[in-house]
Parts: sequence; C-alpha cells; structure tokens
Amino acid sequence: MSAVTATISEDKMDARTKPATPDEGARLGFRLTLPAQILVLFISAFPLLMQLYISVTDWSPLSGVGWWNAWEMWNSFANYTDLAADTRFWSALQRTAIVMLVCVPAEFLLGLALATLFADDFPGKRIFYSILLMPMMVVPAVAGYMFFMLFQSGGPVNDILSRILGTPVTIAWLSDPNLALIAVMIADIWQWTPLMFLILLAGLVGVPEDQMKAATLLGANAWQRFVTIVLPKMKTIIIIALAIRVIENFKIFDTLYIMTGGGPGVATETISVYIYKVTTQDLIWGYVAAIALAILIVLSIVAVYAMKRMAKAREVPA
Amino acid sequence: MKRSVPFEIFRYAAILAAMAVTLVPILWMVSMAFKPIGEWSATGADLTWWPKHPTLSNFRFVFGESDNDLIVALDHTALKPILSSLLSAVFGTVIAMSAGTAAAYGLSRFGSGQNLPLALIQLRLFPPMAVMIPVMIMWAFLNLNDTWLGLALIYGIVTLPFAFWLMKTFFDDMPREIEEAALVEGCSRLRVFTRITLPMMRAPLASAALFVFILNWSDYLIALLLTTREWVTIPVYMASLSSSMTGQLYGAKAALGLIAAVPPVIMGIAIQRHLVRGLTFGALKQ
Repeated sequence: MSAVTATISEDKMDARTKPATPDEGARLGFRLTLPAQILVLFISAFPLLMQLYISVTDWSPLSGVGWWNAWEMWNSFANYTDLAADTRFWSALQRTAIVMLVCVPAEFLLGLALATLFADDFPGKRIFYSILLMPMMVVPAVAGYMFFMLFQSGGPVNDILSRILGTPVTIAWLSDPNLALIAVMIADIWQWTPLMFLILLAGLVGVPEDQMKAATLLGANAWQRFVTIVLPKMKTIIIIALAIRVIENFKIFDTLYIMTGGGPGVATETISVYIYKVTTQDLIWGYVAAIALAILIVLSIVAVYAMKRMAKAREVPA
Repeated sequence: MKRSVPFEIFRYAAILAAMAVTLVPILWMVSMAFKPIGEWSATGADLTWWPKHPTLSNFRFVFGESDNDLIVALDHTALKPILSSLLSAVFGTVIAMSAGTAAAYGLSRFGSGQNLPLALIQLRLFPPMAVMIPVMIMWAFLNLNDTWLGLALIYGIVTLPFAFWLMKTFFDDMPREIEEAALVEGCSRLRVFTRITLPMMRAPLASAALFVFILNWSDYLIALLLTTREWVTIPVYMASLSSSMTGQLYGAKAALGLIAAVPPVIMGIAIQRHLVRGLTFGALKQ
C-alpha cells in the first residue's frame, strides 16, 4: 500500500517539475550567474590585455600621454630583458621564498601540535579555543603595528629577554637586517598559526575513533597511531591547509610593510613590497606591468600543475 | 579516551604557554591605548606593562581633541577614515554577497556558470599587487580613485570568491524537498529562490556576510594604492599618525588599532562554526 502511493507521488513530481518548463531553470541560472561573470571578466580579461600592452612600453603615469597611447613609448621587450637582469627583483623573490619556507612549516607544526592537544574534550576547551583563534582575526595592518611596538629596542620583547637573562637587553630588532627578517617572520607565524590549528583540528576530529581504539588494543603506541592512522586520513586536509598558507604567504605585505617598510635597506623586501615600491616611488608602470605579468604566468603554471595533482590525489581514495 | 594525569598536566602547560604568546601582543596594544604620553616610550627598567595612570586621552586625541602634552593637533581626525572603512567594507560585502549568492544558486541548482568555481579560485590565487596597475588606471578613468565607492567595488570583486564558495556549499547542503514542493504548488523558480530559499538561508547568509566583511575590513594594500587623502581607511590613516616632529604617536595609534581590531574579532568569534568552511573554500566543514 505504502509502496504504491510512493510510486504515484514520484511520478507526479516528475510530471510537474521536469517537462513543464524545460529551459526556465537554465535561463534563470544564466541570469543569476551573469553579475559574477561580468565582475570576473571586468577584473581579468581587460586588465590582462592592458597589462600586456603597457608591459612592452616605457609608459608611466608621469609620461604625459594616456595609457592607450603607450605604443609611442614602445621599447621592444626591454622590460622583460631588464627583469631577467634585475638583481633586486630576484633577491626579493628569494627572500619571499625564504619567508615561506620558514613560516609555513612552522605554522603547520605548531598548528598540528595544538590541534592534537585539542582533539578530545577537556574542561575549558571552548574558551581556550576561542582565544587561540584571535590572532587570525586581528586586522593584519594592526598586527603589524603591534609587532612594530613589541620589537622596539625599549619594547616588551627586550624587556622579557632582559628579565630572563638578568642583564639589560637592547637589541634593535627592526634596524638589523637579519633580525628584522626574523621579527617579520615571527609576526606572520603569530598571526597565521591559528589558521593551521583551526583547519587541522577540523580534520583531526574527523578521524574515526573506533580505528584508534582498535589500534590501541593491538598495542600501537600514540606515535604509531598518529603515523599510521591519523596522518593518512588527514592527507587531503593537510594539503589544503598548506596550499592556502603557501598562496597567502607568497603575497605577504601588510604586517611586514608596517613593521619595516621593506627595510632596513632592502633586508625585508619581499616581492609584493618590491612591486609596491616600484609602483609608487619609481612610478615606472611599464616595468611593473612586466613584473606582474611574469608573476601571473608563473603562478598560473604552478596552479594548473597543483590542481592536476590534487585531482589525481582525489581519484585515489586516501 | 581516558588520558593520564601527566598528559593532562602537559596539555594545560602547553595551552597556557600558547595563550601567553597569543595574548601578549594584543594586551600590549590594549595597555598602550590607555597610557598617557609619559609612559609611551619608556625604556629598560622604566617600561610599564600596565598603564600607571590610565587615560582616555589617546581616544580623545584621534577624534580631534588637542592634547596639551603633545602640542600637536591632527589636521584630519579619525572620524572620516572610520567612515571610509565602514562604507567601503559594507558596500564591498553587499556587492560580493549579491553577485556571489546569485551565482552560487545558479550553479548549485541549474548547473550554470561551470567556469566560475575555478575562475574564482584563480582570482584568489594572484597577489593583488600583480593586478593593481590596470586597476589603478581603470579606476582613474572611472573617477573612482580616492572614493569609498571605488574601494567598495574592488573589495566586492576581491572577496567574491569567498562569498560564492561559501554560499555554494550552503546551497549544496540544503535539502531540496521544500523547493520541489513549492514548484509543484506552481511557484516560478525565481519566486522559489527569493521567497523560499533565501529566507530559509538567513543564518548562513549572515555568517557568510560577516566573513566577507571581516576580509574587506582587514584590507590595507588596496586602500594604500587607491586612496590618497579624502577617503583613506583606518590602516592607511594609522600609518600616517607619525611625523618628524612628534615621532611615533604610539598611544594614538594603539587606540585606533584597538578600534579597528575589535569588530572583526567579535564577529569572528560569532561565526567560529563557519570559519573552516569559509577559509578552505568549502572544501572542509566543521
């Protein structure tokens, strides 16, 4: 009896929803996605062509001709050959890589360690969790200012060091080339470890508990359980977390620029800071366009490769 | 799983250490915001961790009251930058959420705009610095430089990926029985979307909007490039609060930093449940 009514109502549904208006859905879908499509096109296609055009000229906003007339200043790809020989560009790129290679693993390991501590329930968990997440919600420019104050030679960091060591410490963190880079990286790690913690904890909670119990009964210790059960289950999540931080860390600007302005000299000049300085101080926009395009092309290749790898990883169940 | 006592001790010790590292920078700024000028830059043994004479003068100063100890007055108070930050972040959120929600629904229900998920992730991938030259030229052409509307427009585009992906996962998760029932009743698909789906999704919409707002409010680089004087936002204005005459206006900057930092922290805690989903483009749910 119930089976019969079920089939009838299913038939009814199909009859009313599908054939009544075959392309009403498609038309509405097109109209709903149109604004987003326009915005994407507005920020990608036209700017890209403009960038490509300007990048083969010496055009600058001070050159007195409109950008559409930039062809008058055609310089036959000199920007690109200059870029290949621009040591300041390459050292900025190298510095960006160093920052990334220190910060992302540090954030990952600290985040993972914290996440394992939060994997099961304990008194006070919720409040600790909320407080530990706070740094990632602080406006990055404000975080930059916080660390600018902390690392002053008469500031709290030196005060704490003085108390620990028992002698007055007056390190000029932000005006020493090596220490400035370290200070900047500490600020990044402070701000973004919570993000790793948040994502990795979400993944850790998803590890099935019965498997862990079974492994314990079979005599596996905590480390063995972690390596053989937890890590494989979290593989995709770990890749996502690392990918997000690598992408964001490559763009590092706000905290760093407020703390050091890229200095002393060029000691903390990362790729974003370098482009910013060429854009606003040297004002050679033709050259900036060439740098930006070169970065966009390299990043696109990396992105396509990474997405192919991730799609492959998804096909093979972890 | 039952844990041993030494483990519990270790856990609390480690968490307390992490809490200390997390809180010291924040508390230092809070403390600085309430310090009178005499305690700003004390060095060595004079360094005061907590204001000895707490005062609100830093807050009054950024809103234009002259400070007798400082002998400087601001030629432009913090009021307009706060307004600029608010207007650009709010309208940027409106743009991102309207375009993103509509597109997410179009893709989730009708399969339209198959290119959008990837295109929007790519948009997020590129450093804003690498597309700012054309944007600055276009904005100059449209007379949008140094206006809150110009900032709102670029914010709306920059945060569109988050709005789209968040809403897409919310729509994908939503049971379709109610929508189907309404269709059977004879509602048009547009009416189903505006009268049934959107009201049902009020809570997820609010969370996504808060998430996008936090991102817009947190911007520094774009405002630094697109605003110069009239409509500078809080972080840009904050950086200008130092001069050769006064040096760093520590207390005033800290007061302003506190004003800028409080709203996103409160909002972030309010939408904690959805943070993972938002940050991972819906790849992960909590």
